[in-house]
Amino acid sequence: MTFLDKIDKVIRREIRIWARRPIYFLGSVAVMAFCTVFYLTFLQDGVPSDVPIAVVDRDNSSISRNFCRQLDATQLGKVVHYSTFAEAEADLQGGRVTSICLIPEGFARDIQAQRQPTFSFYINGLYFLGGSLAWKDILTMVNLTAGAVQREVLQMKGVPESQIYGLLRPVDIDIHQIGNPTMNYGAYLANMMIPGMLQMVVIIVLIYSLGAELKYGTSRHLLEAVDHDIYAAVSGKMALYTVLFTLIGWTIEVILYKWMHFPLAGSLSQMLLGCFLLVVASESVAVLIIGCVPVCRFALSIGALYSVLGLSLTGFTLPVEAMPTGLRGLTAMYPLRHYYDLYVQVGIFGSGFGEWYPQVIALLLFCFLPFLVLPRLGRAYTYLDYERN
Amino acid sequence: MKGIEYAKQWVRDALGIFNLELRNILHDGGVMIIFVVAGFLYPILYNFVYRNGILEDTPIAVVDDAACSDTRRMIREMDATREINIAYRCTDMNEARTLLQQRKVNGIVYFPSDFGDRLAAKETATFSIYADMSSFLYYKNLLMGSEFVMLHEINSIKVERLSLDGLTDQEADATVNTVRYEDINPYNRAFSYGIFLISAILMLIIQQVMFYGMGMSVGTMREENRSFASLPDTYSGRGVGRVVLGRGAVYWLLFMTIGIYVGCIVPAMFGFPQRGSFWDILLLLALFVTVCVFFSMTWTTLVTRRESAFLLFLFMSPVLVFLTGFSWPTTAFPAFWKYFSYLFPSTFGCQAFINLNTAGAPLAVVAPQLRALCIQGGVYYILACVAVYVENFALKNKARGDRGLVEVRAEGATSSR
Repeated sequence: MTFLDKIDKVIRREIRIWARRPIYFLGSVAVMAFCTVFYLTFLQDGVPSDVPIAVVDRDNSSISRNFCRQLDATQLGKVVHYSTFAEAEADLQGGRVTSICLIPEGFARDIQAQRQPTFSFYINGLYFLGGSLAWKDILTMVNLTAGAVQREVLQMKGVPESQIYGLLRPVDIDIHQIGNPTMNYGAYLANMMIPGMLQMVVIIVLIYSLGAELKYGTSRHLLEAVDHDIYAAVSGKMALYTVLFTLIGWTIEVILYKWMHFPLAGSLSQMLLGCFLLVVASESVAVLIIGCVPVCRFALSIGALYSVLGLSLTGFTLPVEAMPTGLRGLTAMYPLRHYYDLYVQVGIFGSGFGEWYPQVIALLLFCFLPFLVLPRLGRAYTYLDYERN
Repeated sequence: MKGIEYAKQWVRDALGIFNLELRNILHDGGVMIIFVVAGFLYPILYNFVYRNGILEDTPIAVVDDAACSDTRRMIREMDATREINIAYRCTDMNEARTLLQQRKVNGIVYFPSDFGDRLAAKETATFSIYADMSSFLYYKNLLMGSEFVMLHEINSIKVERLSLDGLTDQEADATVNTVRYEDINPYNRAFSYGIFLISAILMLIIQQVMFYGMGMSVGTMREENRSFASLPDTYSGRGVGRVVLGRGAVYWLLFMTIGIYVGCIVPAMFGFPQRGSFWDILLLLALFVTVCVFFSMTWTTLVTRRESAFLLFLFMSPVLVFLTGFSWPTTAFPAFWKYFSYLFPSTFGCQAFINLNTAGAPLAVVAPQLRALCIQGGVYYILACVAVYVENFALKNKARGDRGLVEVRAEGATSSR
């Protein structure tokens, strides 16, 4: 029996198990379908709009009313009026509004008399995205309101119209967002969250597939089918799951970059390669875990702990350099971390292979991990000498 | 008299079930590992990862084609901000772009050659920033740092020009700064990523640990052909309520311990803001843990094997983080996901904890969340009872069916003989 025959046998056997136990299908295909639908529909707007901004207008003048109208007219903000600050503060603490603008009494009068009234705004920074966007929105509107007043003053002083803009705004910034020009929050998160979920699902399902043989004592049956060749047994399973999860991953990448048109500077084929490597590397991690701890339940618990933490340690939200020094090195033990680096090169900068080959090598290095534990897993499969539950 | 007898019997039965469940949990190494390791370790791990939580001194490359005193001053000012660190000064954009691509810098500031001339001509001088969007925090830092500098520059340039036009300093200041503003961010002063994330996920950890642990325990019973719902025959009472409450009390006590650790001790250990009153938080925990118990009891009914909880529901943890609404604002939720989020106690528990503990809100402010938790608790209690009832019903039918099958087989055996 050649090695390929053995692998063929294992694959046929695994497909029979799949047909008998719906949990495999639910745990892989159904879970990934749900996650893809969730992250793409939940964040479909890209940038939140109409976040509630409280306004306590103690002045109620034409200037303050105009300010409220302008703020309300921005895409981001929606003004909610409060009569007292205490009510607004309660809703700020309760997270029902993102921020409070406090317009003091005599605001318009003081502006006209050049007494420089103070405008205060409060932000709830615990609701991060809403809070920081409201901060930016209000700051812009305050500057525009102040600018409008200054413009009137300058006009009254007789400054020619052609010079006014230069006087009001001597310096300006031209902002270029490389890799995500529309600041699409949905694209930013979905790009990494969905592959992150793929890494999690690959690890959990493969650990379960290998661990279930131990748990139900079917591992000897598996080994007999392949002449006691643990390499063939594991390779067979990995081959089937590689095909399955790569297909799932590729479908997701095509949805992300072709159907949703998320920004991608490089070519799709490069991302497909990265996705394939992510799947293979994650499988290798799964084999390592079940090989080190050949008890289905323990291995699953470790796999769960490892993969949930992986979403944070990848560093696409809080960058790795902001983590404690001792943790930075540990991030390298996640395939997703290298996939993210690869995505940054391909998706954001559109670099060639020369820039991202280190990530390919890193992901390929993961493939050596199973060889460390396969003999041990083979012994566990033969003797079944670990506790089963 | 009958009422008292019934109450006594009720308490005896509930205590019996309590003891049984407690013994089950304590004897199950796997469940204990989840409760102890995950419940105690996870909050520490997350606090450790997000301990700094603030990205400072993002490295930037500068391309200064204007090379005048104004741009040199602005570059110095940018370097002095907390957000930006001028790491490289490049001679042209190609060099800066290479550095960006090699990820030695996370942004570029470019001053065009006419920048100084335009300032001198009293026109608007524009400079460009290029932000690497691979993490939005890079962009935020670059934007905030350069915007501070720009606003500062605008003010001083305007005052300087107006002074040249013959205004006194005070007049010029009053003309330029028609409105003064102050921005106050009382609960998270530095926009720390850690403070915002940790306060949101602490409650979620309680719910998820309980769910996976209970799922494993229920799955084990199923595998061993016992059922979590069946009453031992020795007990004369057969009420559904005492099964649910007796079993629930075990988890409730266990998770109040874990809850106090997660909600009160862990924040103190890491110097995390604790602005709420201890008793308010204890009240929230008591309510939240109760709802979590009924929630887990309801949904773990679907678990048939020891490991299924991980395979089928692990992916929900990150999803639930988003559904708490602390990152993507609740008002921007698509309608379907908004109602979907009402299924989970974590949605309201996390919001209430953020508001009470980190924002220091009084109890009245979180009344809507507490009310929602009460409703959830009621609904999930009823569902948990229904689950036990249905399970018992199914068990009895199955027992009857099995007996029938045995009789049929026995008959078949005799007739063939």
